[in-house]
Amino acid sequence: MESYPEKMWRFPCSYRENLLIVAALMLGGLAAQLVIGPFDYFFLHYPVNVVLGALILLLALLGRPFSRAPLFRWLGSVPWAVSLILGLMVLSLIMGLTPRLLHLPPEPDFFLRLGLAQMTSCWPFVLIYLLILLSLALVTVRRLRFKRGGLLFFLNHGGLWLLMAAAGLGAADLRRHVMYVNEGQVEWRVYGENKEVLELPLAIRLDDFDLDFYSPKLALVDRHSGRPQPEGRPDWHQIDPGRVDGRLGQWEIRVLEYIHQAVPGEGGGYREIPMPASTPAAHVLARNLASGEIRQGWVLSGNRYVPLSLLALDDNLVVAMTQPEPRRFSSKIKVYTREGQEREAALEVNHPLKIGPWMIYQYGYDQASGRLSPYSSFELVYDPWLLPVQAGLILLAAGALGLIWQGRRRRAAV
Amino acid sequence: MTWTEFNYLAPPAVGLWWLSAAAVMRGRRRLAEAALLAGLAVFTVFVAAFWRDLGRPPMRTMGETRLWYSLFLSGAGYLAYRRWPYPWLLAFSALLASVFAIINLLKPEIHSQALMPALQSVYFIPHVTVYMLAYALLGVAAMAGLVQLRRLKRGQADPELYAFLDNVVYVGFGFLMLGLLSGAAWAKEAWGHYWSWDPKETWALVTASAYLLYIHMRLKDIRPRLTLGLLSLALLLLMITWLGVSYLPSAQGSVHVYS
Ligand code: HEM
Repeated sequence: MESYPEKMWRFPCSYRENLLIVAALMLGGLAAQLVIGPFDYFFLHYPVNVVLGALILLLALLGRPFSRAPLFRWLGSVPWAVSLILGLMVLSLIMGLTPRLLHLPPEPDFFLRLGLAQMTSCWPFVLIYLLILLSLALVTVRRLRFKRGGLLFFLNHGGLWLLMAAAGLGAADLRRHVMYVNEGQVEWRVYGENKEVLELPLAIRLDDFDLDFYSPKLALVDRHSGRPQPEGRPDWHQIDPGRVDGRLGQWEIRVLEYIHQAVPGEGGGYREIPMPASTPAAHVLARNLASGEIRQGWVLSGNRYVPLSLLALDDNLVVAMTQPEPRRFSSKIKVYTREGQEREAALEVNHPLKIGPWMIYQYGYDQASGRLSPYSSFELVYDPWLLPVQAGLILLAAGALGLIWQGRRRRAAV
Repeated sequence: MTWTEFNYLAPPAVGLWWLSAAAVMRGRRRLAEAALLAGLAVFTVFVAAFWRDLGRPPMRTMGETRLWYSLFLSGAGYLAYRRWPYPWLLAFSALLASVFAIINLLKPEIHSQALMPALQSVYFIPHVTVYMLAYALLGVAAMAGLVQLRRLKRGQADPELYAFLDNVVYVGFGFLMLGLLSGAAWAKEAWGHYWSWDPKETWALVTASAYLLYIHMRLKDIRPRLTLGLLSLALLLLMITWLGVSYLPSAQGSVHVYS
């Protein structure tokens, strides 16, 4: 342990003192919450957030020439950092244990007014976050040096500072909207938080929505209860061209034919026609293991246009098909911006489109209609601070690789 | 190549991985490395040919993702072992790689089990694999921490053990951070934002904070027992993040709970 010269002004150096200060700050934050209500991110809108970030950096820069000043020594000390990290951990733990509220009820009780159910706009959280930013900035600047070991320290602490500053202070400028577009139409309006209609600087035309699904499963279902059998641990047979034979309860089954996109054909059969109204169909042969009885017929889960079809085995049991699960859904869209830019794209989950400062994501569709969904929905995200966030992520990733490579280098003595 | 050939290629790979684990624990390092790499080679040949014959990356079903777990675990485990020659690190990677191969052998029904669209991402496999390596390292750290705690209670901490402990925590925490960061990058691509304070994300932050506490508290030799105890607490938090979040009241509506 280092020892501090007596003549200097004392600053809080034990864990106990630092923890007490953090606890007092959090209690003070809660009191502020009760008096003035939750922290309003609107306040941080550009350029306020940039000014605040610059102030923190300025303080950190001052910490270099005045590194012996008690204030700076304290704000850059390990016990202070540990106390702040513990504070953040406790607040996140509360957040992780309790359900989050999106909106406060009109007459919140005392506990709700403390704001812990909306932690990110709760004063204690905001205070700790800002103090961590300050502490990180201070140690990053103080330890900036072109020496071995200096780089890894910079990657981890500077990277985290950049990430937390851009993500936290930038949060006020972030905008996220969900837009619903009907097929064949152009939309530029979204609903705001209070259901008011907002007009966005870009419009989307939906040319086509398509959904591809996995081949469904077959199950034995009790026709009275509707529950899959055997009760409790039902058997499923995944339809798979590689495995046509299977077993469901006391019945051996074979899929004679499987049509992924079937529509009714002549004579009670089905044929493959790739169109939105089609549905998967399986021609199934079932043989009772005990009696040798044989049943044969088509099994379909059906949709709005093609009726459901079950294969009756006996008075109680039928073979049924599960609703197909989506494998991929995609929307062919054309985007227009106010500046006159136009872009066509096929959006999919995990494949968003970036246009200017906006990112457009495939969001959802009408699940009840599946492939026949009349609309597709998109999430539009405007994040002017994405670039510094990504830079922070990259620095931190490099720092993590550095930790993996270097481990903890042995120092003289600890 | 198809899943049929897997039944012939996977058992030799599994055998080689077991040989590797057994050899490294008996100090036969050369043999262990050779066996691990041979198993990896057999597996790589299968995955490459499987990919070619499928005509798409094998990334769409549960069974297919298990292939990558085996591949990445043995590969990343080998690299980590080359840097940090702890025998258990290699043994763990080899055994876990074989577990995923065995799951594919014993449960052919997962070969075609659907992977929901959000999971179909290039970040998925690396994300999961680095977390598995982090679990292994941090699990060992927690155990070694308990050993050190006992030494401390009996009087004297072992400086060698401290050096080992800190090293393993730094390396494990590095992998943990890679997992967190790849998760953020993935979330940006799939859900529109890199961090949404989803319960799983929040718990990942709690866990990372606990390890940060250890790392920073070790810089000063104050409260050594508390510091060592943190490693067990942090491992518990890690387990909750991994397995327990789905059961918490806060997790209703989490996007990261896959039943
Ligand atoms: C990704 C997250 C972080 C990692 C990987 C990390 C890692 C480290 C490491 C390895 C050291 C020892 C460096 C050395 O002595 O050469 C250190 C020191 C330190 N860290 Fe962190 N840290 C992180 C986050 C933080 C945060 C959030 C704070 C502040 C709240 C902080 C404050 C400090 C302080 C004050 C020191 C001592 C610096 C000094 O002695 O000059 N760190 N950190």
